[in-house]
Parts: sequence; C-alpha cells; structure tokens
Amino acid sequence: MTETLSPAVPSTAQSEAPLLEIRDAAVALKSGNRTMVSGVSLSVMPREVFGIVGESGSGKTLLTRTLLGLQDDAYVAAGSVRFDGRDIPSQGYAASARKLLGHSIGFVPQDPFSSLNPSMKIGKQITEAIHLAKGWPMGAEKTREAAIRLMGEVGIPEPALAFDQYPDQFSGGMRQRIVFAIALSQDPKLLVADEPTTALDAITQRRVIELILDRSRSHGLAVILISHNLELLRQSVGRIAVLYGGQLHTIVDAGDIGTRVVHPYAEALFACIPTREKELADIRSIPGEPVGAGFGLTGCAFSTRCAHAEPICRTAPLPLNERLAPRFSACILGRGA
Amino acid sequence: MAETPLPMVELQGVSKSFARRLFIQNRSFALRGIDITIGRGEVVGILGESGSGKSTVANIVTCLTGYDGGTYRFKGRDIATFTRRERFAFKSDVQIVFQDPYGSLNPRATVRASVMESLLLHRRDLDKAGRMERADLLLEEVGIPASAGDRFPHEFSGGQRQRIAIARAIAVEPELLVCDEPLSSLDVSIQAQILELFVRMIRERALTIVFISHDVNVVRLICDRVYVMNQGAVVESGPARDVLSNPKNEYTARLLDAVY
Repeated sequence: MTETLSPAVPSTAQSEAPLLEIRDAAVALKSGNRTMVSGVSLSVMPREVFGIVGESGSGKTLLTRTLLGLQDDAYVAAGSVRFDGRDIPSQGYAASARKLLGHSIGFVPQDPFSSLNPSMKIGKQITEAIHLAKGWPMGAEKTREAAIRLMGEVGIPEPALAFDQYPDQFSGGMRQRIVFAIALSQDPKLLVADEPTTALDAITQRRVIELILDRSRSHGLAVILISHNLELLRQSVGRIAVLYGGQLHTIVDAGDIGTRVVHPYAEALFACIPTREKELADIRSIPGEPVGAGFGLTGCAFSTRCAHAEPICRTAPLPLNERLAPRFSACILGRGA
Repeated sequence: MAETPLPMVELQGVSKSFARRLFIQNRSFALRGIDITIGRGEVVGILGESGSGKSTVANIVTCLTGYDGGTYRFKGRDIATFTRRERFAFKSDVQIVFQDPYGSLNPRATVRASVMESLLLHRRDLDKAGRMERADLLLEEVGIPASAGDRFPHEFSGGQRQRIAIARAIAVEPELLVCDEPLSSLDVSIQAQILELFVRMIRERALTIVFISHDVNVVRLICDRVYVMNQGAVVESGPARDVLSNPKNEYTARLLDAVY
C-alpha cells in the first residue's frame, strides 16, 4: 500500500527556514528531575497553522509552558530550541524564552476568566501590553488609538466604550478576544494558543477559532493551536503533532486523519470522537486508561492500549530518526509512517 | 418510539426564575414556560449551551429543585399532589447521573457501599448478602471488577467513577434515568467508553433516559427525540436525526453550523 510506505515528503518550500525548530526536547520537573515529556522534535514554518493534540495528562500544556519559559517547576532537560533563526541558549533558558514571549511570541492561555486582571480596565491592560512591546514614546493618545483599533480587529463591539470597562462586564468569548488583543499587541510572529476555546460554548468557540485563523491569513501569523479536540484541529490546521503519555508519537497532515492509514494512536483517538459524519458503529473507544506523562516505561506509552502492540513495543525506545521531518510516525512497527 | 398513552414525564408550561434575594428587580428566568413530554422507553436529549436551562430541567424532573409555574406530571400524576408513599416511590423510580463523578460519590464510603446504599431503602426484600451480591453484579455490569468494590472513590479514575455512579443509579432499577452531561468532564478516549456503556444499557435495559448534553453529535447518535433549548426556552423539538440534520429554528441552525 502506498499509504503506509510513502516517505515523509516536506510540503513547504525547503528554501524557507522554519520559524520554530524544536529538536529532541525533553522537559523534566525540577523536583526529583523526573522526565515528563521527551523526544519532541518538530518545526513550525512561518505563517503555518500547526496543531498539537493530546488528552489530559499527555504533557501538552507542560511542554508548551516550559518551552515558553512560563513553567516555574519544570525545565528543558535536553534538546535544542531555535526560534526565528536564533538558538535559545540552554543556559538561562526560561529567561531567554520569556523575553521572546514579550515580543515575538504571543500566548493565549486556556482560561479567559483568570488570565485578565479583574481590577483593571481592559483598555489599560491592552495599552500596558502595547507599551511593553513598543516603548513609551508613542504617547498616551496614540497608544489609546492603537488599543481601540486592535480591539476592533479582534471583534470587540464598540471598542471605544469597552476600553473603559472591566473584565467581569464581558462574556467568556469576549474576554478571550481581549486576551487575544493583548497577545497581538506586540505584533508577534508566532501565536501559541493553549486550549483557547475549551471554556467556551460551541458558537463562541467557532468564532474565536475563526478569528485566530483569519488573523493568521491576513497578517502572516504562525499559530500553534493546542487542543484535546482532534476534530477541531483536523478542520482548522495543516499539520498535527500527537502527544500521548509525554511522548510525541506522530506528526500528521490533518487531511490524512480519517482518510489514510496514520499512527495507531492518532487513528484510535479519531475513532473515539463523534463527528458530524459518523454513525454509532464508527465510534470505537480505546480500552484501558490513559497513561500520564512521566509514566516510566522505556518503550511506547501507547503500547499498553494499542491494538497492534507487540512485546517489543514496551521495551524498544520510540524511533525518532526522522528528527525534523514535516510528518512522521514514531511507531516502531512502522505503522502510519 | 411508540408513544404510550400515559407518558413518563409531562412538563407543561413549567417555569422557574432565580430572583435576586434582596431587591427583586432582576428576575432572571432559568425556564420560561417549557413543555416537555417523555414517553416510556424513549431516550430523549435536551440539547443546549451553558445557561440554556438544560440542567434546571434535569433538576426539576428529578425533583431536586422546585419550579414556580406550570405542572409536572410523572406517570400521569401531578407531583404536587404526591402522597408520602408516592414521593418515596418516586425516589427509586427516578435516578440521576451527574456530570462530575468526583463530587457525586461519597469519598468516605467504599464504592460497593455507595452502590448498596440505595438498595437498603428501596429493596427491603434483600438481606445484606443479597445487597452485596447485587452491588457486585452491577459493578461488573458497568465494567468495574467486583474485587475493586472495597476501594474508595479516590482510587479510581474519572471514567471509572462515572461507571460507579451509573451502577449506583441503576441499582434500584429506576424507570427513568436522568443523565446531566455524563460525558463532558471525561477524557476523549474515556468519553467513548462511557458512550458505549450507555448504548449497551439502552439496548439491554428497559430504561427511559433523559440525556442532557451540549454535544450535538452525541445527542444525534443516541437519542430518539431531542429538545433544543436556548435561554430558558425550548426552541425546537422532534426526532433527533431530523432536527439535527434539518433544523427549522434559526438558533439550532447556528449551533449546528458551529459544531466541529
């Protein structure tokens, strides 16, 4: 079958350098040096919309927050991270990463109810971010105009009025737009959104996701969208990295999910989700319980639940030879490669 | 589904408002005069987003909360006129499975004791050994090994706890099972497991189920009929597949368009 044998062919033009390059990264907890996430290699191209999917405990949030320098109790234990042509030094990694976060990388966390200061008018919170990014010389009036324009761009109705209101006067979707405006105030090259719509209703969720995708198209913004919802990612992004038990198992083209043979976990996860097209018979659960990050097996974390697993899967380390291939499958049995 | 002349649940013009306590100026309506009928043996979905009032419906149907207007008839009898004996019987006829399996099991009781508890009240014919036997049978039925019955809720994962909560709810052989978002606090792969458990229960047991959910696709797959709610009102109802593939209402259409 060509589906299973076709080599990983890069789709993006090779002349362009990746915006973000993560090579064999591992994340460990500071207490006890326990490795939680390991063997993560991926690259995100400029303007690309990239997805990371994983169930709770898969390590997706820990990985992202540590790579952004936001996680105080964890550190990058191995590997290298290159952003926009420059290595982030492993000495003082967190501080260097946080400097980027202020300027080149925007971050939208999951919970729009706790990520804004409840006692500060939203206008002030946005202008503060603009000042941090562009310095004070802009002047108060110009900054205010810039903030109001930005609020309009992210779809806040009557931004001039909203400027003087407090976060609790807004719904979850509107608050997430405010957080989004703050993340965009620095004109970042990369936006990282960690479950940006999990706390929101379906209609609002769709609007916020579309807002992010529109911004990516109109401003050439690269996006990493992290979600537990494989169907949402499948419809929204180009490539998806699949995390399970603290391991990166595969990077697939969104379009291949459900249509071609992909990595066994990616396939099993997709089979769990009721989508518009599926009937009851199409839904198959994965037996057993998810393995959390830092599970302490040497082999494949999914081997305990995988329908294709053989004894070797539990002991042999995941093959990650492809390193930075645009798509790959880390299945030792060669499935979905 | 064949409608029997006497429906299991009949809500007629039921409304409920949560008034602000001190100055009653801002009466927010949780329900605005809704009509819901649930026939015997039906699996009925109540679909809505947060704030639509769908959980309030669950709480009214199970008598966990009261209502301000309208009538609620259970098996043809107005529950406002229930005698003590009828109220007692109602408690074993109607059971509920909540969204959060962490909060719905007593943390200080073994899971077997939790399942046995309701049998003590409603199955007076069973002695202790009989109750234990039945509890173990129920645990096995939902996929929890009976040998784990001596353990406490915190020793189980979310999905297992939801299984235990389901075992406890069906222990007294209720006629009506109300499920309030039973999947939404679970992981994706576990949601599918619990969904399969529901499908098996629907097939094997003569249960009437009210399935409260915000998940359009789940409701389409397991429910016979659906009521779509928005801001405390039922905006559309009918056979689940018809409504959720050919919506007549503007809100339903918008909701369907938004779902991934």
